[in-house]
Amino acid sequence: MAQKSYMYAVYEAVQHEMRQRKDMTWLFELTPAVASSPGVPVINLEKEFGRTRVNNTGIDEMWMAGATLGAGLVGTTAVTYIPYQGSQIPFEMIQNHAGKLHYMSGGDASMPVVFIIEISGQSAGFGGQHSDYECDSYYAHIPGVKVIIPSRPYDAKGMMVSAIRDPNPVVFLFPAGLRQLNEEVPDEQYTVPLDKAAVRTTGNDLTIVSSGAGMPLVLDASDQLQKAGMKVEVIDLRSLKPIDTETLVASVQKTKRLLTFDQSYYTLCPGAEVIARVAENVDGARYKRIAFPDAPPPASPEMFGWMRPNASHIVAAARRVVG
Amino acid sequence: MPAFDENTPTTTKQMLSANRRIFLQAVLGAGAAISLSSKAAKADIDYWAMNLPNEKLIDMYSTILRIRWFDRTLADKQLSDRSFRNLIHLYCGQEAVATGVCAALNNKGPFEQIDVIYGTHRPTGHAIAKGVEMKKLAAEYNFKATGLNRGYAGEMHLADKSVGYIGADGIVGPAAVIAAGSAFAFRARGSKQVAVVFGGDGTYATPAFHSSMNNASLLKLPFIYVLENNLYHQFAHYSYSSPQKDIAQAANTYRVPGVVVDGQDVMQVYNRMKDAVDRARAGEGPTLIEAKTYRYYAHWGAPGAEVGKLGSFGYDPQAITSWRPEREMRDWLQRDPVDICRNTLISWGVIDQAKASAIEAAVKQEVKEAFDWEAQQPLCKPEDALKHVFVDGTVAARQLG
Repeated sequence: MAQKSYMYAVYEAVQHEMRQRKDMTWLFELTPAVASSPGVPVINLEKEFGRTRVNNTGIDEMWMAGATLGAGLVGTTAVTYIPYQGSQIPFEMIQNHAGKLHYMSGGDASMPVVFIIEISGQSAGFGGQHSDYECDSYYAHIPGVKVIIPSRPYDAKGMMVSAIRDPNPVVFLFPAGLRQLNEEVPDEQYTVPLDKAAVRTTGNDLTIVSSGAGMPLVLDASDQLQKAGMKVEVIDLRSLKPIDTETLVASVQKTKRLLTFDQSYYTLCPGAEVIARVAENVDGARYKRIAFPDAPPPASPEMFGWMRPNASHIVAAARRVVG
Repeated sequence: MPAFDENTPTTTKQMLSANRRIFLQAVLGAGAAISLSSKAAKADIDYWAMNLPNEKLIDMYSTILRIRWFDRTLADKQLSDRSFRNLIHLYCGQEAVATGVCAALNNKGPFEQIDVIYGTHRPTGHAIAKGVEMKKLAAEYNFKATGLNRGYAGEMHLADKSVGYIGADGIVGPAAVIAAGSAFAFRARGSKQVAVVFGGDGTYATPAFHSSMNNASLLKLPFIYVLENNLYHQFAHYSYSSPQKDIAQAANTYRVPGVVVDGQDVMQVYNRMKDAVDRARAGEGPTLIEAKTYRYYAHWGAPGAEVGKLGSFGYDPQAITSWRPEREMRDWLQRDPVDICRNTLISWGVIDQAKASAIEAAVKQEVKEAFDWEAQQPLCKPEDALKHVFVDGTVAARQLG
């Protein structure tokens, strides 16, 4: 047990599974297959497993996603890490192939594959293409792909292990801003389920639901609100497909107030789905969602900083919903 | 079904126009039996540029210097001036490519008539060579309201229709297909315009490279792919992404002429580009030009660089799979595009050393004035972020809850 970064936790899960599965592959570009964290050994997947299994490709995300899928279809467990610089290019491979092949083949095709899709979302100055957070909604919409978005290193490792061992294609949304987030992570392998939300704080006044890079901001806001006397129940979705409706409904049945927080665009953000599912099952509740406006992120820090949903927006909205 | 033309020219030699053959004969002497001496080789590579007026040649030299000093200022500011916020992918070392390419294009006039270029995430060279004003560029880098794109673009999405600079792109690959689409439109409307895409060695691996080559060849589009092979895509050597030593060879697969050029020599770049532009305007189709060049700084920012000194040296911690040896960098510095251009102009008698120095001093002053202007410009208004999503109106603020 040691403090490990989010990035390290994911690579540790992969390293362990690759040692167990002698044919498992890892395709990457731009982001080195290396992770380090103070006080623990450096993980270098390329060095340890060799370049026939761990391959640094050219800038070709369609190849990365397609090759990973193809490896899976012939029985190899395969993972690819697609950085935010090209995260939308493989969409066809994942949505129209990986998402449908098991179904279209009447259950014949099997795809033990994981597509790690990096999403940025946090960076003023990076401009329209490198600071978006929108693809959580896109992937959550696909029927046959499990979509997870861990918000902390412990979950990142446990869910990565579950994803690798799952016979279905899994999209692991990796918020780039959480790469260096640290916490205690066990050295041994363990699993965290792919379909369960986590209740981070319990309370009767208000339910706040978020995921991924939104979680640190929600926990910060919730601290402020708890100190001011509001009893907040914070739920971390962890999985966007499937969504853990039961946990959400149970919470809002108690609090009767639901605030969702997303960094992706307002229209069809995960919070929109959360609110819809709760509204179908709970009577007499109040709802609010916070999200990025329906505009691409501007480069200017003055504009971006104003647009990007933050903890003070959560605190203000919580007071309005509860008050 | 289109018939393959077995005589499709695939080499530069075969692309020579009659005029040029006559010119070469004059230079070499009729039926020159001399072997490829250095003198003959020099005549072979200098032919178009040698006919340019002095004013144009001096302008090319000034352009190279503008790019060099603009980017060196960016590097120095990133290292020393926190008031200048920026994201930088520096073009130093590659100046002769953008300069030679754009010097062979029409850059002034109505948008419907000028040639267009699509740039990369390493944009200053392309922008300045096409004619973008440096002060507006500097202001955009620092996200000012009066910047080239009002602070919406930053470095990676610079664009200026007024000079035919369709813009920079943060994603590697797609621009090639989009540029070929512009060439498709030029052909459809019977225009003589040409569409150019700049891409790095990394773009060879993208599906877009192959789609653009294939479709431009099939449709004989006025499309030129300028592939700047600076040896590294981000931190990996191009041998990780291309089985071709000369990526230009890949063009032959699509029956497109593939031309290798010394990207450090602006005159050679200009000559090859002029061939390609003539061919495109004549309706003969696309060309791929691979410019062998080098990036003096790291992929991103200025790690390993010092204020007042050119280039980044040493180990780049982000380069795990492969990184460039320092000797390689020092080797390329020996063939600096600024020096090569200056020496050519001096040897051609266009300028002398004193004039060369005066030009450089004037350019440095011009760059300084651009950044001084930038420093006085206003920041963006936060609420303006809701404009420009569509041509009209604004979108709703949703972050406030």
